[in-house]
Amino acid sequence: MSTEFNLVSELHDKTLVIKTEGYINSAGGEKMVQEFSKHNGVTKLILNLENSKVVNSIGISHLIEIIEKLNQSNGKLVFTNLDPTIEKTFSIMGLFQFADKSDTVESALKD
Amino acid sequence: MDNNNLVEKLAVQVESFQEGFEILSKSLTFIEMVKSFLHIIRGNFIITEIYSFHKLANDSKWNNISLKKIPDPSYLSYLIDSDNPSIKYFVDLQIEVSITLPLADKSYLGILIGPKFDKSKFTDLDKITLQILLQVFDSAFKSFLNRQKEKGLVFEFNENVLHLNNLIDTSIEISRYNKRRVLYDIALERVTSLTNASSALFEIVKKSQGNVKKYITFPNGVEPDKILNSKLKIHSSFEHQDRIYTFVLSEKETRHSTTSFTELDQMLLDSIARQVSVSLENEFLHKQALEKEKIEQELNVAASIQQKILPESLPKIEGYDLAGINIPSREVGGDYYDCFDLGNGKYALIIADVAGKGIGAALLVSTLNAALNSYLQFDIPLTEMAERLNKLIYKSSPSDKYITFFIAVLDSNSGELDIVNAGHNPIFLLRKDGSMEKLDADGVGLGMLDFGLPFDGQIMIMNPGDKLFLYTDGIPEAMNDNEEEYSDEEMINFLLTNSEKSSTDFIDSLVKSVKDFAGSAQQSDDITAIMLKRN
Repeated sequence: MSTEFNLVSELHDKTLVIKTEGYINSAGGEKMVQEFSKHNGVTKLILNLENSKVVNSIGISHLIEIIEKLNQSNGKLVFTNLDPTIEKTFSIMGLFQFADKSDTVESALKD
Repeated sequence: MDNNNLVEKLAVQVESFQEGFEILSKSLTFIEMVKSFLHIIRGNFIITEIYSFHKLANDSKWNNISLKKIPDPSYLSYLIDSDNPSIKYFVDLQIEVSITLPLADKSYLGILIGPKFDKSKFTDLDKITLQILLQVFDSAFKSFLNRQKEKGLVFEFNENVLHLNNLIDTSIEISRYNKRRVLYDIALERVTSLTNASSALFEIVKKSQGNVKKYITFPNGVEPDKILNSKLKIHSSFEHQDRIYTFVLSEKETRHSTTSFTELDQMLLDSIARQVSVSLENEFLHKQALEKEKIEQELNVAASIQQKILPESLPKIEGYDLAGINIPSREVGGDYYDCFDLGNGKYALIIADVAGKGIGAALLVSTLNAALNSYLQFDIPLTEMAERLNKLIYKSSPSDKYITFFIAVLDSNSGELDIVNAGHNPIFLLRKDGSMEKLDADGVGLGMLDFGLPFDGQIMIMNPGDKLFLYTDGIPEAMNDNEEEYSDEEMINFLLTNSEKSSTDFIDSLVKSVKDFAGSAQQSDDITAIMLKRN
């Protein structure tokens, strides 16, 4: 079961990889936006959601904010290690119209 | 500057106004839009100092939204409170232009512009340009609001589809899990996510154990008290067996704070709670069905064992005609009959009925059969054997279980019958001349008491043409749909009118008579009968 939200990040040139853990809610979404905003010039954000199994609408609205910012600078967001429930949720909310998905971080880094 | 000249210069600027609109329209946030607007003004008029402020409807305070702090708080006095767009120009002050722009969302944008870099004053062209730029900002902001509204509507629509989809998926998943903890976790996670709750709790109270409470929280690690003491919460409860189950959701999230849950949230919560309740009920019924199936399997095993205890066929006794039958009312019955060949022309006819049916009765029948097989090998008096059987059954059974037992040892040569009736119903000896003798019980059932009460026996002679009829109470007490009994009278009448039939025909037609009487009513007790005729 999910714990409260945590994240770790790694920068690979202009690609930022954020790995999350726990409930992606308002607080979780805000932490992701803050982490993304710390790194100017990032053109690709890889979000590894392996340890996040639950997301709510407010968390999704923060993800949309990140996607819009990336799209503005011709960047892109790639989700990886998606739980089937979260994948279906993102699909219904239309996130994959503006963001990509990949099985693993490694495959997302190669693309 | 004449009008023609002014129009020409403005015409040149049209393209830059369009570009300005495009730049402003691309903004993702209001702050970003204002920032871009200040850049446009700064670039158009070569301004060094420019500040922006924002004031919400019904708010008297202007908030600085510039990157730069204002050097002097008194600058705020330049801003004019007005419900109409206002541009004021000042001469020889640190602030040259003060702008108040009422926005489409009922808030206000305030802008203070310092002197131009070259210290020149704002010309007529500058003033018209600034006026047009404000209109551009106003249009871009309206467009921004429309886009936000449109995005909000799409988001809301998708969210509703998501709710519906999640409810269906949750319902399927909840019904699939047979591990309770997984079921609770799934339900808790889904309902938290569906309602945008910041945390949730599932409480299980066991009533019979002094209301001992168990909690599961989401996210894991949140203190139950934090959720239970929250002012913004909703709950939904249900009872199952000995327990009360309650879901509690705490603090519905918005983008920037928390709010009260809606009626829809309560409906979603109630719906998930109902699904969990139904799942627990189904699990309970499923377990019951499995237990029933297991009992039925055990009964089948017991029935097959009992079938081996009951005789496949009865011995042929020279000069006699013997037949018997046993039809259990359930998989395993409590009736017993047999005929043992004791040698030297002697035979032991036994009929017995255990109080009750099912596996318990079958076990006692099995004990009785084993004991008889052992005792009948020795030539011990029947009364003594009955006492030994009584002690054995008394020790082997609970107080409410006993066996009514009848035994007759026939000397086929002389026709002598050595009889003991331990609590069994009367046995009938029908003489050739049509007279009937009733052999009543002369002792209590086996295993009923262990006071050392003696069993009395009796000796009778079976002459040619006589018939001995043994039965259990399943025959006279067989019931029809009107709850009427076949009765002793009907059975005796049948015996009197059909006694000339062969023993096998007599037994078959007796069973048919009883079944015809019972009709569609379920057989209420085991049916067992023996007919012995001396030729």
